[in-house]
Amino acid sequence: MSEKERKFLEVRGLKKSFGSGETKQEVLKGLDFTVGKGEFCVLLGPSGSGKSTLLNILGGIDSADAGEIIINGDKLAEMNEKSLTRYRRKHLGYVFQMYNLIPNLNVKENIETGAYLSDKPLNIDELLKILGLYDHRHKLPNQLSGGQQQRVSIGRAIVKNPDILLCDEPTGALDYKTSKEILQLIEEVNKKYGNTIIMVTHNEAIKQLADHVIKLRDGKIRHDTINKDKLTATEIEW
Amino acid sequence: MDNKISFGKRPKNPLNKRVWKDILRDWKRYLMICLMLIVTIGFVSGMYVANNSMLYSMDKNVSEMKREDGHFTLSEIADNATVKAIETGEMADVLAVYRERAYNEAVVEIEKSLNEVFKNAKDSEEYKKALSDATEEAEKKINEDIDEKYTEIEERYELNKKFEPVPVSVFELLYKDTDEVLQSKINYSGTIRVYSERVDIDLYDILKGRAPEKENEIIIDRMHAENSKIKIGDILKVGNTDFEVVGLAAFSDYSALYENNSDIMFDALTFDVGMTTNEGFERIRANTIANYAFMYNVKPADEFEEKEMSEHFLKSLITQTAVSDIDNLEIKDYVPAYANQAMNFARDDIGKDKAMGGVLLYILTAVLAFIFAVTISTTLEQEASVIGTLRASGYTRCELLRYYMGAPLLIVIIASIIGNVLGYTVFKDIVAKMYYSSYSLPGFETIWTPEAFIRTTLVPIVLMLVINAFVITKTLKLSPLRFLRHDLKRNKRKKAMRLPKWKFLQRFRIRVFLQNIPNYIMLLIGISFVMLLISMAVGMPETLSYYQEKMCDMTFASEQIILSSTEDEYGNLISTETDGAERFSINSLERKSDSYNEEIPVYGIESGSRYVNISPTDYGSVYISKAFAEKYNVHPGETIILSEKYEHKDYRWTVYDIYDYSAGVAVFMENGQFNMEFNKKDGEFSGYMSDKQINDIDTKYIAKEITTQDMIKVADQLDHSMGAYMQYFQYVCFIVATIILYLLTKIIIEKNENSISMTKILGYENVEIASLYLIPTAIVVLFSEFIAIYIGYKLMQFFWELIMMKMSGWFAFIMPLSGFVKEFILVFAAYLVITVFDFIRIRKIPKVLALKKME
Repeated sequence: MSEKERKFLEVRGLKKSFGSGETKQEVLKGLDFTVGKGEFCVLLGPSGSGKSTLLNILGGIDSADAGEIIINGDKLAEMNEKSLTRYRRKHLGYVFQMYNLIPNLNVKENIETGAYLSDKPLNIDELLKILGLYDHRHKLPNQLSGGQQQRVSIGRAIVKNPDILLCDEPTGALDYKTSKEILQLIEEVNKKYGNTIIMVTHNEAIKQLADHVIKLRDGKIRHDTINKDKLTATEIEW
Repeated sequence: MDNKISFGKRPKNPLNKRVWKDILRDWKRYLMICLMLIVTIGFVSGMYVANNSMLYSMDKNVSEMKREDGHFTLSEIADNATVKAIETGEMADVLAVYRERAYNEAVVEIEKSLNEVFKNAKDSEEYKKALSDATEEAEKKINEDIDEKYTEIEERYELNKKFEPVPVSVFELLYKDTDEVLQSKINYSGTIRVYSERVDIDLYDILKGRAPEKENEIIIDRMHAENSKIKIGDILKVGNTDFEVVGLAAFSDYSALYENNSDIMFDALTFDVGMTTNEGFERIRANTIANYAFMYNVKPADEFEEKEMSEHFLKSLITQTAVSDIDNLEIKDYVPAYANQAMNFARDDIGKDKAMGGVLLYILTAVLAFIFAVTISTTLEQEASVIGTLRASGYTRCELLRYYMGAPLLIVIIASIIGNVLGYTVFKDIVAKMYYSSYSLPGFETIWTPEAFIRTTLVPIVLMLVINAFVITKTLKLSPLRFLRHDLKRNKRKKAMRLPKWKFLQRFRIRVFLQNIPNYIMLLIGISFVMLLISMAVGMPETLSYYQEKMCDMTFASEQIILSSTEDEYGNLISTETDGAERFSINSLERKSDSYNEEIPVYGIESGSRYVNISPTDYGSVYISKAFAEKYNVHPGETIILSEKYEHKDYRWTVYDIYDYSAGVAVFMENGQFNMEFNKKDGEFSGYMSDKQINDIDTKYIAKEITTQDMIKVADQLDHSMGAYMQYFQYVCFIVATIILYLLTKIIIEKNENSISMTKILGYENVEIASLYLIPTAIVVLFSEFIAIYIGYKLMQFFWELIMMKMSGWFAFIMPLSGFVKEFILVFAAYLVITVFDFIRIRKIPKVLALKKME
């Protein structure tokens, strides 16, 4: 991996606080880390540790008070609203805990909403097969289970083949079995398409899947480790 | 897993597919809005098409039917020389002619008197000297008198100002005014103006039958025939002569049947226009009115030039009649085409309708656009997470704006297309029929004009676009994160209002009310719009019937007779023995304004009159009627300026007080002052007024008789033209009220769907839930109705005044208590219908909805 690829995502002195005066609450207290290209990075931490805020800032939908984020050489802080949207469009995919699918579009059409954003999207039918949704492609979201809906949501994010896939507690609303299936899917996607994946979770077990684990607590990085003995999704338990 | 990545094509925007799905999912709402738009656009488009076609036909008729550029009426038929002189358009040298006539008269008089003195010495030096001296003296006196008189005339008619000759062609257009009685209809009688055969000027469009060929045949106005149920083949008694009606026509100079140009309103009910052969004309026993039509030899380029030419021509007419060899030849009437109500009223009214229809369409589109906008903002709230996700994924605001604008735009486009098709086919004929039932219009051919399409398609689309874009953009400006957090309130939530310790359910209802205030404001706007429409539908007939009923009580004397001369041919004063008859004077002046010149009667009233109770005022101070004060917003102490119609002479009077008379716009003063103000001899008067019928004055001395019936002409005509439609319009208003309430209450329930679902989970029954959510809305509807009734009434008053300012006379907009009650009941009845739908809607909300959202 070249130096540039190693520092595909670079975070320097990142700070963020909410409120003002006496109610001011510092959520991120100066974070520094890098994520390499194609890495599966897990941001781990308890509730209120600032991991979702960090993910939102990385995704350009929230802004930092100080510090900088450089993704593939582009400084996020220097981008205006329009450039940020363009940036998200071209380079980022988002998966949320709640699937946020469009209720009156079927599975394939929901994935097409992601494909539309890319000039060179992945083959949707093939993706549907990978996602295990090909037979359900004509169903509406309310005809699917939670796990299937999350698959659709991952499909929508991945179909534009983004450089970075940001996942905010993607298994948070799912049961054990389905969570494992989803994690397996994310793992497969990472392998097949080589996207950099940054996943926020409070589930300690998931860190075993990751190439890179960043533990947050009280807005600070407590551990930043490279996982040399990563497991597969089928191997982990919690 | 195969690591080879295969790429596909970029799909079309899937959100576009969703627009159709959205419409289908909520088809009832979209259908209602679409139907309302289709009917309104259809009607307005039909109005534009019918109007434009009608106006085109009317304009075409001006040249094809050789419509006059104006007409004038003389005191008697002019000789050829006078007509020829008038046709030159030149001003006659009144000074020279008057001098010459005066000299000649003087010389004859001098010679006559000297002849008596110098009976036998006509050749003597003494006689010659006396003649020369007397002639010189007389010349001097004549010059002084004529100069003084001419200066006055010159000033009055601005004869000294720039003048350009306006050559014209003059056509004899004689007519006779007489009674019209339909043999087969006992109770019917009216007035008919019969013209002799028209060949060169003011031709007519035969709409049914044919032109008269025999001396006992007549062709009459189609509109009047329809109103009076006169059919071809009927025998019409014109004066005392029978004529067979052989045709129905639209005369090019009578698109609205105005008997006199000064009439407050046209009268197609009791006034008729007809034409016979020249022989037939001779058979009618009535005075021949020396009426002449004229055409400019060179047509004016525009209306300003037309007005200028008319003013120049009037100078020529005044001077030429003054120098005519016919003694005392006077101009009785002069009406240039641009000021002729009979020719212009229908045209102006049709134009006004177009403007009003357009405004109505735009208001309705704006209201519907707001309903759309509120619906969309509810959707934005419901779909906040999806929008947040899409924005986070890289969808731009513009893309989302385009998507959310899709449904309203699509609906308005569909409605415009269907509406326009209906407008060009069905509604066009309905509107044309409406015009044909009011005016004497010629046949028309449909003109395919882009104006209707542009105004009924582009403008609503733009309105829909702008209003929705404004509301949606405002919300879409929020960051994706706020959408993801469902934090769409612009202002941070204030602390919950503390409520008194009322019963729980009452407090719950108040919370529902507080939570829905923006929607209730929308509800108030919607109800106000409906109330404006209902105010028109209920108030207009109420106002007209109020005036029809009360006019008799309002007039100061039920009969006013204006005499052509106050002395008979023997020099005796014309008087009446009618009990309570009083002398009065009247003069007609004009109140000039940019938009409309109104003719206003100025009354001179006998001192201590029993009909008009006014105190003597100083010279220059007058009373004005309540109608005058209300119409022109004039108060005591202010100055009014009235002008002579054909003379450039203004009268400035200070308003002494308002006289309580609402039946007409008028000015009052005592007769003595009247004679001073108008330079009349002391004791002069114009006629008699009385509450009893005056029967003892020979009709040949009567110039005009004004009865109460004449004064309610406006109300009668308006009632005839609009009264029937207003009844239908009330039903339409009920439907519009129901649809608007349906749309707005639907939004309120949709916004509260989640809470309603949750209350169901908690175990509340449907009736209890309905009482929680429907009672606050019902109370809001109730209060909104009161506010909206007031707003609607005030708006209608405003629009009514605008209409009245373009017409003679004045009716205040009257809405009796029963009218307000009717308005209230109409809207509340509509709401009650909707409540049933709302209850069904509440019942249908599933419990699982709240649970799903909880996930």
